[in-house]
Amino acid sequence: MTTTKPTMIEFRDVHKYYGDYHALRGISATIRAGEFFSLLGPSGCGKTTLLRTIAGFEGIDTGVVLIDRKDMARVPANERPTNMVFQSYAIFPHMSVEENVGFGLRRDPRTKTEKQAAVEEALAMVGLKGFGKRAAHALSGGQRQRVALARALILKPKVLLLDEPLSALDKKMREHMQVELIKLQRQVGITFVLVTHDQEEALVMSDRIAVMFDGEIAQLADPETLYRRPNSKKVADFIGTMNFIPATVLGESGGRIEIEAKGLGRVELMAEQCPAGRGDAPMVGLRPETLTLLYPGQTSTERTVAGVIDEVIYFGDMTYYDVYLGGTDVEVRLSMRNVPGRLIMDVGTSVDVAWSPEALVLFR
Amino acid sequence: MKSPGLRAYAIGYLIFLYAPILLLPIFAFNDSKIIAFPLSGFTTQWFGEMWQDAQLWSALKNSMIISGTTAILATGLGIFAARASTRYTFPAKGGLIGLIMLPLVLPEMIVAMLLLVVFLAISVPLSIFTVILGHVLITTPFSVAILSSAFQSLDKSFEEAAYDLGEGPVSTFRLIILPLVMPGIISSLLICFTISLDEFIIAYFLSGSDTVLSAYIYGQFRFPAKVPAMLALGTILVLVSVMLLSIAEFFRRRGIAKTGGKDTGGFL
Repeated sequence: MTTTKPTMIEFRDVHKYYGDYHALRGISATIRAGEFFSLLGPSGCGKTTLLRTIAGFEGIDTGVVLIDRKDMARVPANERPTNMVFQSYAIFPHMSVEENVGFGLRRDPRTKTEKQAAVEEALAMVGLKGFGKRAAHALSGGQRQRVALARALILKPKVLLLDEPLSALDKKMREHMQVELIKLQRQVGITFVLVTHDQEEALVMSDRIAVMFDGEIAQLADPETLYRRPNSKKVADFIGTMNFIPATVLGESGGRIEIEAKGLGRVELMAEQCPAGRGDAPMVGLRPETLTLLYPGQTSTERTVAGVIDEVIYFGDMTYYDVYLGGTDVEVRLSMRNVPGRLIMDVGTSVDVAWSPEALVLFR
Repeated sequence: MKSPGLRAYAIGYLIFLYAPILLLPIFAFNDSKIIAFPLSGFTTQWFGEMWQDAQLWSALKNSMIISGTTAILATGLGIFAARASTRYTFPAKGGLIGLIMLPLVLPEMIVAMLLLVVFLAISVPLSIFTVILGHVLITTPFSVAILSSAFQSLDKSFEEAAYDLGEGPVSTFRLIILPLVMPGIISSLLICFTISLDEFIIAYFLSGSDTVLSAYIYGQFRFPAKVPAMLALGTILVLVSVMLLSIAEFFRRRGIAKTGGKDTGGFL
């Protein structure tokens, strides 16, 4: 796994204020070398501000930002070993593609031909071979993004910062570029730090993700942990879809917690399914895909609960069902893949729903 | 324009505005010293007479020096003011920008009078130089207005990208900001030049013994025989003014198109 990789960026209790507004509230985290790291959160959570403190565009009020073990407090943006792909791409409109890509080489002592070769190489790397002479303003959104990538990567930075680079692209192009970016990151081996508000994008692309709310990191984990074991209801709600079911804690013993969840009955949970309590009313979380709709005659080795279908939402590859659990007012959403021969059920049908205790997460 | 009343009003308004200017070329080519209908015949004599006028050439030279210098100084000051007002925040910013823009609404008569009093009080001899000072004062607001819109439409991330790629503040300004606001600068130069060239009151008050074009034209109207030649000169000036303003507007629009901004209106 990635645990052996050395630290590339470290935040130590970083605080940032805009006047009275406390934008970053004690950020402490490390980003490892060669990692694809994402800062994920809703708008206004401070993720872009945090990225800009790495780039050097924002100062910090207290705390330390280290890049490659060096304190960045007195290092201006133009001397930091980082390069950035801007949300707007910031392709210089009065320059050609190759002038844009080669812009960072102005102070490079190499000869003109060597620089030209470096520009060609960078363009080839992002799949824009032969585009060098084009005018920058004549490019499409996807091409601009590639130019911005080439321009940032040509300097071989230690860290590449990406500020919502895919948000301006349409869905198809965005999905395509996600894969391209992952490949590119593996190819160059540079630490990538991505800011995004799109949880799916973060899950797809990242080695590790920091989920941010209100200027704080709520959870920092790999995508699977984040998805399967969110440490709070807020994170669970932000990442994907999760059903929340009211529960009562019956007792704790030997690292096991027994609860009674409304509609599901008594369940015994392992300690790892129960993140630290926050004093909230206890709830269990359950992802839609961990629930299975049993068709008439089907049985399951998992636990089952009776329910009534309240809503059917057809998505093409999937169908979502909203089901009332066993005569309660608890409604859960579950997703079924539309495989051949599997019928879409009707609203009002009484069904059995299979579920597994391991899929539960307790928030309290 | 759905209502016929509004249409008539608009047409009437345009006639009122431009008919007098149309009279200028008509009488400039009319074969009579008296400015009245009916026209007596076609001639280019007045243009020839104007061409021969040595005093006119000297006034034109003075005016060119004044307008050229004014345009450069006002635009230079405008660059600093526009940059400061669009990028930085500082105490009393609104008030300071307001003070810079104030000459736009001050009666020129007052400005001219006060400048005259001040120059005399500190015994600065009246000359082309004093006219330039006065003109810089009144044209700088125009420059600031034009350049503010140019700087405003500039995406801040262009600058950040240049820093990010290793450039300092000075080289960033030279390599990125200046080329991107260049259309605004050209537009400002041309408009300041035109305003200075046309300006009469300050030029008349502060020029001393150096005659400038606008004051010279005014002076010539005392001699009925000279009037047609002045109309000929006026015709040329109108053409030059329209040309300069068109060029300025062309550059302004091209600048907006180039940086991908939205046109929020200009002087034309």
